[in-house]
Amino acid sequence: MHKINDYTKSREAFARAVKVIPSGIYGHQGPAEGCYVPVEAFPLFSSRAQGSYLWDLDGNRFIDYMCAYGPNILGYHDPDVDEAAAQQRAISDCTTLPNTKMIDFADLLVDTVASADWAFFAKNGNDVTTLAVMTARAYTHRKKIVFFKGYYHGVAPWTQKIDYAGVIEEDVAHNIYVEWNNFEQLQEVFETYKGEIAAVISQPYMHGNFADNVLPAYGFWQRVRNLCTEQGAVLIVDDVRAGFRLDLAGSDHYFGFEADLICFCKALANGYNVSALCGKDFLKNTVSSMSYTGSYWLSAVPFAAGIACIEKMKRLNLPKLLIEKGTLLKRGLEEVAQKHGYDLRVTGVPSLFYLRLADDPSLRLHQAWIAECVKRGVFFTNHHNHFINAALTEEDIRETVEIADEAFAALGDRMED
Amino acid sequence: MKDERVLAQCNLFGILGAIPMLLELDPAARRLVKKKKISIGFAVKDGPRATLAFENGNAELTEGVEKCSIKLPFASCQKFNGMIDGTVTPIPTVGIWHAGFLLGPFKKLTDLLTKYLRPSPEDLADPVFFERSTTLMLHVIAGAIAEIGNHDKIGRFSASNIVNGTVKIGIGEELAVGIRVKEHQLTALHYAPEESLSEMIFDSFETARDLFDGKINAIAAVGLGNVRIAGMISQVDNINRILDRVALYLQ
Repeated sequence: MHKINDYTKSREAFARAVKVIPSGIYGHQGPAEGCYVPVEAFPLFSSRAQGSYLWDLDGNRFIDYMCAYGPNILGYHDPDVDEAAAQQRAISDCTTLPNTKMIDFADLLVDTVASADWAFFAKNGNDVTTLAVMTARAYTHRKKIVFFKGYYHGVAPWTQKIDYAGVIEEDVAHNIYVEWNNFEQLQEVFETYKGEIAAVISQPYMHGNFADNVLPAYGFWQRVRNLCTEQGAVLIVDDVRAGFRLDLAGSDHYFGFEADLICFCKALANGYNVSALCGKDFLKNTVSSMSYTGSYWLSAVPFAAGIACIEKMKRLNLPKLLIEKGTLLKRGLEEVAQKHGYDLRVTGVPSLFYLRLADDPSLRLHQAWIAECVKRGVFFTNHHNHFINAALTEEDIRETVEIADEAFAALGDRMED
Repeated sequence: MKDERVLAQCNLFGILGAIPMLLELDPAARRLVKKKKISIGFAVKDGPRATLAFENGNAELTEGVEKCSIKLPFASCQKFNGMIDGTVTPIPTVGIWHAGFLLGPFKKLTDLLTKYLRPSPEDLADPVFFERSTTLMLHVIAGAIAEIGNHDKIGRFSASNIVNGTVKIGIGEELAVGIRVKEHQLTALHYAPEESLSEMIFDSFETARDLFDGKINAIAAVGLGNVRIAGMISQVDNINRILDRVALYLQ
């Protein structure tokens, strides 16, 4: 039996944080947006991380299935990536003239990503999804962008919705929303707005929050690709979340089509802060003509880390490895759920799995089970997909399943009360 | 931007919709209408229509003005909103002989409601007043959420993302209201729903009050455990987006 965690120090730190930081911890890593239900079950601050583990302020160790929401793909503090970064840091990082590591990194991406003829670097996923949309508009001289409902493409106003705080109607006036996997609806939209659609932007499959993840229907992407080509619209794949966990050549390659623009971030440099927009040759001049930059975007350390990360991912044939680990975990969790009479749905690609207990439509039961897992040292979240990293061992997976078993037992005991 | 029509909906079904609860909470309010059997129809051109009926010290607000003893017509939503602001005095077209009720008990009742909904710091220092005021605010907010979700352009967008089921909004274990969602249409429930798909529970009247007054932030309060969310969180999330607009309409 695993001990039940105490989070006294996390709570104290949070009480300190809310005094000086809006909402204490803002965004997806905060307890509200992160759906920490009930909040007492979750740690709020970490003290250190190594491999597939995360330690909180109270010294509790977690097998971490959020992986910093994606960046940790090789394991926290991967020695090869850290060494490459340290070596570069000793030479130069943020300087007046960029280091040629930038060219090396672009070369490597062009060699690795199937649809990449060039690479443009920034810091966050949002930087490059925004650049992708601006590029599409600049190239086509059109305004409208098509999104698939359930999307997430960052936090810039254009990515948000009309009812979000700080977003004005004009920010989203040219956004068109269609259902995922509904090609006919997409076709209708192209008919309705003939000659007005600059781009279709999408994640490679529907891995939105609060819902089972949905893979593309057979032939869906190929039809979307053809439609965009016929209609002169740019096809943008937002591979920020899924990138390199399905296919090192890009998730578009995994699903058998080619994007015009593809956005990477999270797993690109195993936690070093860099993002990249890669694209087809015909869009390179358009990007060249744009005014788009940032203070730290050409820093060399993340480029060195990114090179080491991609090279190691290649050596390990990483997507295959992660999918195998994810599949092993998926089977273990499903079996243990079944043993306790629960209907656990594990959806999406196994290296990026999404969990839902389908026994209770209100999801309270699901939240209770996740809470029991977290309290015992497995960091799952309630309504976001999870991430597998290379450092996760079979022993970690076995322990995870064991904790999931205990969590189901606790749930069962509670239901009998 | 405020839409006058939406504001009229909020004023009628949110603000005046709280009068039945005011009668339940405050014996002084109840005494004002104790022996009255009378109803006021609010007929707003191109806007909402509802009747507030008093009987045996209780009140009920129902849609429509077909059966009212006093009918107050308003040429526009703006005029009706003016009445709530105190800048417009309506003249009844039906039941003019009941003008005494309008100028007497009803006026006192609405003044009392205003005292609870726009309280002074001194009044809030009284714990009984504080609890009644906060309770009434919760009911007004529930009413306004439903109206904004059904009528406001941006509110309707939020409502379009809410799945069927009831959201419970409560204070501790003592008090709750609900927002029932069916096919993206919202209905305020002025009682604790027996079943809910999701919930947002304030741990105390103080927390609820501070949130209503904008003194604390809901996101931070969730982290601190002062506000508990559970169930279908996407419902709570979208209701909160509408709640943001309640402040716009009812400030």
